[in-house]
Amino acid sequence: MLGPRLAGRNGVELRPPTLGDQKPHLVWLAQPEVTRLWAPRHGEWTEEKAEERFKRQCESRDSANWSIAFEGETVGSTGIFDIDWVGRGGESGLFIGRHDLYGRGIASEAVRLRTRLAWSHLRLHRVHSWIALQDRGSRRANEKGGYAQIGLYRGYAYRSGAWLDDRTGEIFPERAFTPE
Amino acid sequence: MRAEPAMPATWKERLREAAKEQSAVLWTIETQGGPVGIARVSRHSDVGHCDVQDLAIDPARWGRGYGGDATLAIHRYLFDHLDKRVSAVELPADSERAKRIAERLGSVEFGRGHDACYRDGAYADRLYLRLDRSAWEERWGASEREHPPLPGGIER
Repeated sequence: MLGPRLAGRNGVELRPPTLGDQKPHLVWLAQPEVTRLWAPRHGEWTEEKAEERFKRQCESRDSANWSIAFEGETVGSTGIFDIDWVGRGGESGLFIGRHDLYGRGIASEAVRLRTRLAWSHLRLHRVHSWIALQDRGSRRANEKGGYAQIGLYRGYAYRSGAWLDDRTGEIFPERAFTPE
Repeated sequence: MRAEPAMPATWKERLREAAKEQSAVLWTIETQGGPVGIARVSRHSDVGHCDVQDLAIDPARWGRGYGGDATLAIHRYLFDHLDKRVSAVELPADSERAKRIAERLGSVEFGRGHDACYRDGAYADRLYLRLDRSAWEERWGASEREHPPLPGGIER
């Protein structure tokens, strides 16, 4: 499913993705600055595949998907995936494609908005994440949002000439929730 | 856990999807010519690790060592054939049988998710375990190779 529009602070907004939002992703995914900690750094990054991906997001019953907008412009995407509606848990992910905007707090605000909705509307008990330890921006955004580290998978994958570690974290949205 | 009715119709669809899947391998666990369970392993092509995603034995056959034997067979394949560095698995912390199998195999805990598995009306923790190839070689390398090493000098 597509998530609802969530207005945040400092020009950040989560909004339901559109097909048009998929197109800049094709450009971002080809940039080393964005994907250096990702695998496999190649893929079927075509408009046709982007349309398929968008259709899957729309039809999905176990995920909530958003575009991240900064000052009105789409700069990335986020979501909660593999939602188990019985156990009330899911896995979060976040992607900022505009590397020239790294360090502006966009991801942190997106995490805050996403976590708030995870409790206020989705009533999720727990959300977990996997983030490369060396991906400082994503890691800091999750830590600021209240995710606690619960494990470290040493030597998870080889990226950019080094073995990376994968940090897993969890948050209990009810405990992090503050009404606005 | 997939919430779906356990019906032949849904399994046909699942098997059709599994046959097309490029990043996971699904097996039936068989003994004496009959099925006793299933196992599924992801085999990410671009990284050195893999995940044991499912390993289920018919409860009527529990306690006969089938789970442990299947686990050894799977890891022979993962380490001797796919050349993986690490095998990982996630287990409910209250699953004593699964924990015993993992412990015997040589897996070690690297993380714990709190209140992550819901069943029987309550939450249990989830354990994150890994088995490194070096630990596998040390414990099982002498007895559990899929094939004996090839003799040296063979080039064609």
